[in-house]
Amino acid sequence: MLVLKTLCTQSMHGYGIAQHIHRLTREVIRVEEGSLYPALQRMRQKGWIKSEWRLTPHNQKARYYTVTPAGRRQLGEQESGFAEVMAAIGRVMRPA
Amino acid sequence: MREWLARLRDWLRRDRLDAELTEELRFHRQQLEREARHAGADTEEARYAAARRLGSGLGAREESRDRWSWSWLDHLQQDIRYALRGLRRSPGFTVTVVLTLGLGIGANAAMFGVIDRLMFRPFPMLRDPARVHRVYLKWNDRTRARVMPAFVYTRYLDLKKWTSSFSQYAGIADATMAIGTGDAARERPVATVSASFFDFFDARPALGRFFGAAEDVTPIGAPVVVLSYRFWQSEFGGRNVIGQPITVRNIPSTIIGVAPRGFIGVAGRAPPDLFMPITTYAGNSPGSSDRVNYYKTYNWGWMSVMVRRKPGVSVEAASRDLSEAHLRSWNAERELDPEATPAEIAKPSAIAGPLKLAAGPEAGLEFKTLLWLTGVAVIVLLIACANVANLTFARVLRRRRELSVRLALGVSRGRLVAQCLTESLILAGCGCLAGVLIAQWGGVALRRLFLPAGNSLEVLGDWRTLAVASVFALATGILTGLGPAFLAVGGDLAGSLKAGAREGTQQRSRTRSALLILQGAMSVILLVGAGLFVKSLINVRAMRLGYDPEQVLMVGRNLRGMQLPDSSLIVLHHRLLESAQAIPGVEYAAFVSSIPFWSTSSTDFFVSGIDSVGRLGRFTFQSSTPDYFKTLGTRVLRGRPFGAEDRAGTPRVVVISEGMAQVLWPGREALGQCMRIEADTMPCTTVIGIAEDAVQNSVTEEQRFRYYLPLEQIRPAGGHTLLLRMRGDPVAQVERVRKALQPVMPGESYVTVRPLVELVEGNRRSWQVGATMFVAFGGLALLVAAVGLYGVIAYNVAQRAHELGVRIALGAQSSHVVRLVVGQGVKFALAGVGLGIGVALLMAKSIQPLLFRQSARDPVTYGSVAGLLILVALIASAVPARRATRADPNSALRTD
Repeated sequence: MLVLKTLCTQSMHGYGIAQHIHRLTREVIRVEEGSLYPALQRMRQKGWIKSEWRLTPHNQKARYYTVTPAGRRQLGEQESGFAEVMAAIGRVMRPA
Repeated sequence: MREWLARLRDWLRRDRLDAELTEELRFHRQQLEREARHAGADTEEARYAAARRLGSGLGAREESRDRWSWSWLDHLQQDIRYALRGLRRSPGFTVTVVLTLGLGIGANAAMFGVIDRLMFRPFPMLRDPARVHRVYLKWNDRTRARVMPAFVYTRYLDLKKWTSSFSQYAGIADATMAIGTGDAARERPVATVSASFFDFFDARPALGRFFGAAEDVTPIGAPVVVLSYRFWQSEFGGRNVIGQPITVRNIPSTIIGVAPRGFIGVAGRAPPDLFMPITTYAGNSPGSSDRVNYYKTYNWGWMSVMVRRKPGVSVEAASRDLSEAHLRSWNAERELDPEATPAEIAKPSAIAGPLKLAAGPEAGLEFKTLLWLTGVAVIVLLIACANVANLTFARVLRRRRELSVRLALGVSRGRLVAQCLTESLILAGCGCLAGVLIAQWGGVALRRLFLPAGNSLEVLGDWRTLAVASVFALATGILTGLGPAFLAVGGDLAGSLKAGAREGTQQRSRTRSALLILQGAMSVILLVGAGLFVKSLINVRAMRLGYDPEQVLMVGRNLRGMQLPDSSLIVLHHRLLESAQAIPGVEYAAFVSSIPFWSTSSTDFFVSGIDSVGRLGRFTFQSSTPDYFKTLGTRVLRGRPFGAEDRAGTPRVVVISEGMAQVLWPGREALGQCMRIEADTMPCTTVIGIAEDAVQNSVTEEQRFRYYLPLEQIRPAGGHTLLLRMRGDPVAQVERVRKALQPVMPGESYVTVRPLVELVEGNRRSWQVGATMFVAFGGLALLVAAVGLYGVIAYNVAQRAHELGVRIALGAQSSHVVRLVVGQGVKFALAGVGLGIGVALLMAKSIQPLLFRQSARDPVTYGSVAGLLILVALIASAVPARRATRADPNSALRTD
């Protein structure tokens, strides 16, 4: 979900995604490369994201990922599901 | 679904994805290095930092790879590659197995193709074939119970009136009629059918329309015809033919439609060239008043009836309904003809049976032979399976050590089983391919033997046959692969690791011995069958028919329904006879009233001292012009044949067969005796000659009571066929004879010429077919069994090389070693022979009716088959035995 959300704003390469999440979560969450890349492959196969090789601003070749419409739909579902779960957890955690 | 597709696509391009991922990870590392450098580390340190954070990248790669590689698919691919490599490395084994299975599967595919076409495959376009039946009538004759699909038109109307289980009825009759005029006229197959016939099908005419109920009416239907698509294409080039005239027999008809492509109706024989209303055919049939009143009387049984069961009516209920209607119809017939057998004795009933005659209760000897042959084909496949299983066993045993090592290294047993199965399935698949090719090629011969002309036996383009062949292949693969596969993974791992290939095979060879004995037994059964059929065929061929058909041509005259007065007929027959006698190459010619194997005539006759001649058996007569005996080659044993001097007006004479003389005047001289023919008030017909017994309808008939009358004294205008004894090859002269006789025929009428042997051969066919196929399959089985025996013995010798080497080293004579090895082979053979002969003896009773004057327990056949199998065993084991003696004892002693 985090990856999808990240890619919603702009297409990015794997390193960029990791950095972005790392920064946004104020260095709380660090996406391990060992799980990031398999996850990207899974999402690509499910048709949520697509990839293409492009040049970075530093003129290096890198694979950029973009969210597909199916991916956006999926994100929407996940977000609402996540919100529900968060709310539920919040209700439990709040002192009675 | 889309995800699976994506995964499959990824799997196909997994190498590229791998490379891309590596590239991607390299990029990631570069970025991390850059980051570290920014933080102030030097290059070396930055690289380490990056590597630390990223790890080797292997983890990510492995896991990603799982996303695009399916392990089982990869394993399958590996197994296939492994199997192919293994098979390529032992081409002898591979070719043997593929050929063995190919022959087995091919034989079955071809037999299935024939059986399916004859018995099961529904007719094209027939709607809901499961509910469509042919009606078979049952009743008791004077002598026996009869079941026949033959109907009188009146009975068809009765059943239609008095049954309620059916939604559709149609009368059908196949006929051969002359179509066209002048020299273009040809005899062609015609289906005469009720108008309701077409409603049984989901068929739209390709052109025009089918005929309707208004055109199919008693007494005479409308002269309209529907062409078959094929006939339309070949004869009319697909032109618009609606409304065009066409002469069918003597009926000037109009073409009103063309049936769709592939529509053959319910043709049992050749597919019809055209369809005609059944009442048009019946109403235009020349003949006595019986035929004119065909829809009111019960005298002319010539058609068949098909019905469609109403939904919810069971076959049994339908048959009951039909039986009741048949009883009512029988009583209705009795009212018209009080002479008919009373219903209490005849016990008429009926069944709703299969549409295909071959699947019906009246299927002939040929179909029974065919079913046996199918069984035989299955046995051949079983033998092939046993053989392949045995060879595979041997292979697995040889690789036992390798397999043990792999098991010990942690390969799962499931994977090993899968590997073995993959190999045998690949072999079975190749066998299936070979089999289909063999079936396609061998099927041509089968088709000629069994299927009516015009039927194709395409195997490659026929999905039903292909599907059956694939199922056979799959079953074969599993059957031959599973046993060896479990052998491969079962058993004591440590033991085989330690001992290598030498030990631990004793117990396993028991299974293989059993397979070998089974193979031998099945070969014996097939060979016994082959022997019996060949002897039957020899008996049939050796049997004197009572005439020599080989040199005889048969000339039929077809008047196309033209009615000639007797005087003109007599003139025509005389002219035909004279013209025929003038043809060079014709030795003798005779005009006859019945044709061997085709038609017989009989009439009442009376002999003083015998109450009822009919009770003694069935007597048939032939009436002919002089020279009959010379033409057909029937020998007159005593007295004289009739000749030109026995004319109308001279004293009546008859020649009778020996068997008839013995049964009518036992122990007395038959010559000079008096027969009163047709009525006991008729003047004497004197017996002037005794002829040898002659076959009339079928070579299996036991009674051959036959008498011969001069045509001129009985019915001067009778007779319809000219028999010619030819010098030289009769077949080559057919066309010459036809050309010489055709000008004699008046108007549109014509002659047909064919060799008499064709009819005789047709009657010998079931033995011919049985002998050919049993010999082919039996030989095949023997070959396969011999290969199997050789393989197993050779393998055993290889296994025992060590032991044999020791024996030789200890001073055993090479003849001892040979005896040891050969003895083993012969022991297998003996066990197989014993078992096979036992089973064959048990089956003897059921195959007896298919044989001809041949006991199914013939000791000579059994003995020679046993001898043959033992001989084959001797040869198959002698070769490995010799090799064993030549082995160098040193090398045997040094290994291990």
